[in-house]
Amino acid sequence: MNAQRWLDVSERWIRFLVRLYPVDFREEMGGALVEAYRDRCRVALREGARFALFGVWLRALFDSVRNGLGERVRPAAPWRRGGNWGRDMELATRRLVRAPVFALAMIGTLGIGLGAFAVVYAFVHKVLIAPLPYERPDDLYFVWRDYGPIVELNRGWLGGTDVAELQKVGGVIEDAAGMLRGRLTLSGRDGRDATEISVIATSPNLFELLGVRPALGRGFAPDEVGPGRPAVAVLTHELWNGLGADPSIIGTEIRLNDEPYTVIGVMPRRFTFVRSAGVGAPQRADAYTTLSVNLAETNPMAGSYAGLIRARPGSSAETVGEAVDAVGKGIDERDFESLGLKLYAIGLKPDLVASVRPALVVLGLAGVFLLLVLMVNLATLLVARASQREQEFAVSRALGASPIALARGTLVEGGMLGLMGGVAGALVAVWGTRVAVALAPTDLPRRDSIAVDPGIGAVVVGVGVLLGLLAATLPAAWAARAPLSSLLSNASVRGGGGQGRMRRGMVVVQVALSLVLLSTGGLVVRSFERLLRVDPGFDPDGVLTFRVPMPSQRFPEATDALALQDRLQVELAALPGVDAVSAASALPLSTDASQTNIEIPGAPGNTGDLDHDRPLVDYIGIRAEFVGVMGIRMLAGRMFDSARREGVREALIDRVLADHFFPAGNPIGTKLPFRDDTLMIVGVVQQPRLYDVHQDSRGQLFIRAEDWGYRTLSFVLRSDRDPRALIPFVRSVARRIDPQLALAEVRTMDEIVADALSQQRISAVLIAGFALGALLLAAMGLFGVVSGSVLRRRHELAVRLALGAEPRRVRRLVIGEGVRLVLIGVLIGAPGVYGAGRAIRGVLVGVSPSDPTTLIGVALGLTAIAVAACYVPARRVSRIDPARSLRQE
Amino acid sequence: MAMDRDRRRVEAFLPLRLVEFHILLSLAAGERHGYGMIQDAIARGETSAPDVGTLYRALARMAEQGLIRAADRRKAPDADDERRNYYRITPLGSRVARAEAARLATLTRAAMVGGLLPEGAL
Repeated sequence: MNAQRWLDVSERWIRFLVRLYPVDFREEMGGALVEAYRDRCRVALREGARFALFGVWLRALFDSVRNGLGERVRPAAPWRRGGNWGRDMELATRRLVRAPVFALAMIGTLGIGLGAFAVVYAFVHKVLIAPLPYERPDDLYFVWRDYGPIVELNRGWLGGTDVAELQKVGGVIEDAAGMLRGRLTLSGRDGRDATEISVIATSPNLFELLGVRPALGRGFAPDEVGPGRPAVAVLTHELWNGLGADPSIIGTEIRLNDEPYTVIGVMPRRFTFVRSAGVGAPQRADAYTTLSVNLAETNPMAGSYAGLIRARPGSSAETVGEAVDAVGKGIDERDFESLGLKLYAIGLKPDLVASVRPALVVLGLAGVFLLLVLMVNLATLLVARASQREQEFAVSRALGASPIALARGTLVEGGMLGLMGGVAGALVAVWGTRVAVALAPTDLPRRDSIAVDPGIGAVVVGVGVLLGLLAATLPAAWAARAPLSSLLSNASVRGGGGQGRMRRGMVVVQVALSLVLLSTGGLVVRSFERLLRVDPGFDPDGVLTFRVPMPSQRFPEATDALALQDRLQVELAALPGVDAVSAASALPLSTDASQTNIEIPGAPGNTGDLDHDRPLVDYIGIRAEFVGVMGIRMLAGRMFDSARREGVREALIDRVLADHFFPAGNPIGTKLPFRDDTLMIVGVVQQPRLYDVHQDSRGQLFIRAEDWGYRTLSFVLRSDRDPRALIPFVRSVARRIDPQLALAEVRTMDEIVADALSQQRISAVLIAGFALGALLLAAMGLFGVVSGSVLRRRHELAVRLALGAEPRRVRRLVIGEGVRLVLIGVLIGAPGVYGAGRAIRGVLVGVSPSDPTTLIGVALGLTAIAVAACYVPARRVSRIDPARSLRQE
Repeated sequence: MAMDRDRRRVEAFLPLRLVEFHILLSLAAGERHGYGMIQDAIARGETSAPDVGTLYRALARMAEQGLIRAADRRKAPDADDERRNYYRITPLGSRVARAEAARLATLTRAAMVGGLLPEGAL
């Protein structure tokens, strides 16, 4: 045996030994190791012949066992086990640059999906989750009266005496504050028009109770309350800004309802406080002042104070509830003859967001579904990509690349795309949130604070990376686990096999998820459409509204106010383009009406049961012609004329009351006791809804505003042109009559209706957007699968065509494959549709969660889109030239 | 401050393992391939020259730590002109090698003072 032969044998031995080293070390150092040993063997041969060579072989054995196993236990560089990420990243970048369409599709999908998700997240987070800007906000509670059997009112404001009792009781209740809110006219100064602002009059401890200090000046002193208190005011940052943002405002005077108040403080910018209302939206304030009464001396029967308490730190909601309940029992005994009045507490945040919670939860669920669809779509894209790269995989593995390294490459690719998609998503989110906030109802709690902050941006980017990695997991696992032989054999016929099944499975999942989202979207949109078409009981088109506050300080005599209202009505009616003018104490959908119990002795509908015969009603003062201007339908009798008859106090009732008291008879002419007087019913109208657009609430009673000394009224103008164009003329009329008159809440009736529906509108828009996004994603996934399958089966299809199959039939074969997937997806999604329908039942109006028209429509629509998505790639079949295609293989 | 941090960084490597010091010693003279370093160690009179596996594991680790860097792959005149992977010392590697040499010199001096070595053995 010559020397070269011995060297070859040595090399084979060394190569065998090198296998003791772990694969990643071998990849990098194996070659050099073998070379070094060969050098060694050569030297040994040259110097000591074969005997020395055996020594080297033995030495190599010990060396390899020791170091090979040592390297496995303690790698030279610990992180090398995880691979060379830098290099992987570089490679992934290069691959993505070479496949720009794929990269853009991924980033676009992620960007839009995550952006939409982040918009929802921002809303849900800021409204439902984020802490309020107060000290220990979880220890703050609003307290309400539940009148139980006394009056049909279970969320009523507290009596001043209740608040005084809560302040006194001690125990877990550290402190309590009572608040009134009023709209006051802020006199114009320095050339500014008079404006109406909303002012909370509170116990002086409000700011301490919230744990917030004014940014400028001071808060209220404990003795600045009660009759004869110094008139002091604390301004919000916004109002202070509106007044010129002058720090020297402290100590100066502002005039509210023509009375002087000394400004003692300005709140910080981020401070907002809303007084939760029994009915309607929480009420904001522009300024704060103290109560001019002593709470303990108020009439215990009148509930008009919002009660806020702070619990001792660490008290559970139950202990607070028990303490409040105990206080309620005492009050019931003392002031209500134990008739059954109850007090109860609700945490500040739950109380404020209660009304929007169901809608936000639905949105949140929709967001999660969208995210799922997104993820599956990403995985589909990556699998499609992996299948394009399968040849490369197969060759790499044949050349000895470790499966781990290949999986790692795929993961890095997914992670990088996720990162870029996340950044795109964050950009979409910032922009989308601005749009969504603009669409959102003005009374959405904490609306001003909704924006995508860096924290949410980071979450979006993080979720993007996570999604990218998750979506890459499947193809990565596939790349790592698929046996080499299957890769190679599949590669020769371009794809198919296991990953084809996986892709088809993912399309099925996607179709199922999309179906759930689409049916939810369909139901919500249909419900919104119903709402838009609903008859609210009045005709909002072409009506301009504004409130004219007439505080008693400026108009001590009700007759002065009446004279001014008469003059306003006449002069406004004389404006060109104005058809008619009237006014009311509460506008439809304003929730502003007052309530009282009425009875009609001798009415045919009376049952003898006091609860039934003395119902709680909303009563509203309206001026002549209001019914006509608002387009409220008369059902019987007549409306109020401009001429008033001496000694007769007229009233209108709505159909709810008419049905209640006069199920069969005619109410016209009936007498109705009201306060210390008697009303005569002159007409019956359709209910102009005060609360919900879509359903009647308690009955309404209309009295003549002229008869009852109403001061502040909302005026309504009907015009045959754009009512907004009238605003400057209206202002100049008001200024001419009295320069200190403020016009408040100048809005068209259409805007009021739109505002009342804005919560439903934003839900509908967002969910519809999500659903369309999901549909698009599903269609893209299907398109990808079918076109991939056409490509893969080109050979087979070519054979079919060559053997005389009609292109049409072959096309049908391809489409059939896609449609089968869609049908399976629809079947799997059906139970999900049922579940989602049940979950959103609460937000649907006029649509059943299993509305067959909607659901069948959605399923058909989805199938149609899916067939279209299959049809496009199927058309390629016709472009297969059998001869050429077969020759290529 | 910066110098302190630098020194701390260098000192974190000390003491070097024997095979590591041999590698740095060889590379301080210029680029070298793996087997060449073993030959250098033998030439220095090292009785237990490092095994090939030990050497390459050390090379991998030191490349990771930035003490040395892989240079190009080129023909080796001492191995029948076959191509070999060459290594080169980095500035950090030089500093670490100098620090180790200084440490060993201090120890040797201490051995002389302690009478273990004759004066002037250095």
